[in-house]
Amino acid sequence: MSAARWSYALNQWDTNIDTFVRKREHERALKTVSISGFSAVELTAASFGAWEPLGNPRQIRDLYGSVAAFGEVLRGCALDGISSYVYDPFIGFDVEMGRGHDPLDPSSAGPIAETSEWFAGTVRELGGSVLVVRPVGSAWQTGPLDDSQIEVLANLWDAVGRRTAALGVELALHVDFLSALRLGDGLDRLLAATDADVVGLALDTAELAVAGMDPVAVYRRHASRVRHVQLKDAREVVDEAEAMTPHAEQFVRTEGGRRGIERWFFEPTDEGGLVDFEAFVSALHEHGYAGWIVVESDQSPHPAESTMVSGWYVQKRLAPLLAR
Amino acid sequence: MDHWRSNSPSGPIDQWRSRRTMTRFLRQVAAVGFDAIDTFDFRYWQILEQYGSVANYQEFVQEQGLERIVNTFHGVYYEPDRYAPEVPETHATIVEDFKVTMDRWSGIQLDNVIVMPGSRFYDDHGPTDDQLKHAADVWAKVGEVTQQYGVNLTCHHEHYAGIRNRRQIDTFYAYADPRYVKFFVDTAQHCIADVDPVDVYEAHHERVTGFHFKDTRNKDVNEDYKLFPDAEVSAVTTEKWFYEMGTAEGLVDFERMMRSVRDHGYEGWISVEHDKADKLGGDYAESTAISRWYAKNVLDGIYAGAGA
Repeated sequence: MSAARWSYALNQWDTNIDTFVRKREHERALKTVSISGFSAVELTAASFGAWEPLGNPRQIRDLYGSVAAFGEVLRGCALDGISSYVYDPFIGFDVEMGRGHDPLDPSSAGPIAETSEWFAGTVRELGGSVLVVRPVGSAWQTGPLDDSQIEVLANLWDAVGRRTAALGVELALHVDFLSALRLGDGLDRLLAATDADVVGLALDTAELAVAGMDPVAVYRRHASRVRHVQLKDAREVVDEAEAMTPHAEQFVRTEGGRRGIERWFFEPTDEGGLVDFEAFVSALHEHGYAGWIVVESDQSPHPAESTMVSGWYVQKRLAPLLAR
Repeated sequence: MDHWRSNSPSGPIDQWRSRRTMTRFLRQVAAVGFDAIDTFDFRYWQILEQYGSVANYQEFVQEQGLERIVNTFHGVYYEPDRYAPEVPETHATIVEDFKVTMDRWSGIQLDNVIVMPGSRFYDDHGPTDDQLKHAADVWAKVGEVTQQYGVNLTCHHEHYAGIRNRRQIDTFYAYADPRYVKFFVDTAQHCIADVDPVDVYEAHHERVTGFHFKDTRNKDVNEDYKLFPDAEVSAVTTEKWFYEMGTAEGLVDFERMMRSVRDHGYEGWISVEHDKADKLGGDYAESTAISRWYAKNVLDGIYAGAGA
């Protein structure tokens, strides 16, 4: 029996400010996730105050009365809790759509660590075990990371990792397809520079595939560091030149670049995409992966359908690969 | 039940658009824990075109992890001069239609073929007792035909149909031979017509061979049942009659319904239906998930608690 557990990311329901606010909307999404065979949900940090009520611990408390009360809602929907929270340090929480801190700025270390601890405490209280973070900005902002930048990042995330570990929460660095870590051997160097005991890797199959990286190969290379998996599919690749587009988050990820790609991410299925899920999950099995596997379909126009179709794929095809 | 719509890059579609869309539909149904599907028998020609035969289509269903097709709903236009249960002159046509239908579906084993036992709203007074008797007579003849294939002929009472209120239902079944004419309870349809679904089930439980479990938030208080082409799409009372069970503000007491089903020893299939779930921003997939969540987390426990 595998120790891995299956969760589903709620980000596909929360596509814009004030689209996922009412408790009834939360409840319907949570029940859909539960009955599709998942035992937990992943939350994503967001900044729009009370209109993003799952966007940070304060908003959870304001809507539900307390984090613990939200935990009761999760269990009432037949879920165990949350698996994880995704936190991007560039997001600030004091004003609507506020800006946070750049991990490459050494003076940001304190605020980022404090905010990480804030989220990690909520992860723990809601039964989860992982804080997923965006470890650095985009490739167009930095170019290839030099040794001094790697050192700044390593110092930051080691410090954060020690603080979350003290709360019983693992820290996992997430590489998105525009990340500076896609350039050269940035990812390998950052992992080598960080403390393996407190800093792990969150491996997102689709983000790596869009970046032109083979998620199976990346997993095999860093299996001992992988603390978290996000499973989704992709159909298009963004090469390095396109990733270097100024403000690529807006002009490539959101607007779709010159090709006008309207949707980068798809739920895991056997319908054909860049990711070979069965090979990937088999690799997890070979290495005895025992963490969360979070299925995602951010950008799905049909959240319930995506959850159910991927739920079928997990139940019938992927979970049996782990149970061998 | 196979009412289903979703949005595609080319606009709204149903699951019969392609084998790929059918695959996704079946996987959604299977993923949340349903065991089987119902369908409409007017899909027959489409089944031949896409799958080759009814048996092939059932194999396709089974490949997605479902057991089988349990029921079909017989769709036909009722017209007094051609095909109407209340009109004896059309009965030979009706019986012949079912000989053809049952032969077409004989490649698989169904539990029920479901019919509307009466024509659409008949007139201000509804069908007369004689007309109810004529309808009961023809369905008994049809039931004899279907039972030769091991299939029940079972009657489903739309809230806008000619046999809709409690008096009409009771009179119809008083005339109908219980060996051949069975009853299919639709919780929401009865509720809209101001018929208590539990009470009518208990009155006729011995001939009940299936259920559509769905909810509603409204009863017909505007004589919507008289509207053309049918009150499900033309009503004044609401643009959306049907909601999945487990919905807030639902009028059907499913916990009471389930206790009754349990206490009467019913062991057949219960079908969950979402008719026009996409109205007013609804979503078939989500309704399917929410209703199955409710069945698993609320109703299964009631059914398992025999005698509680």
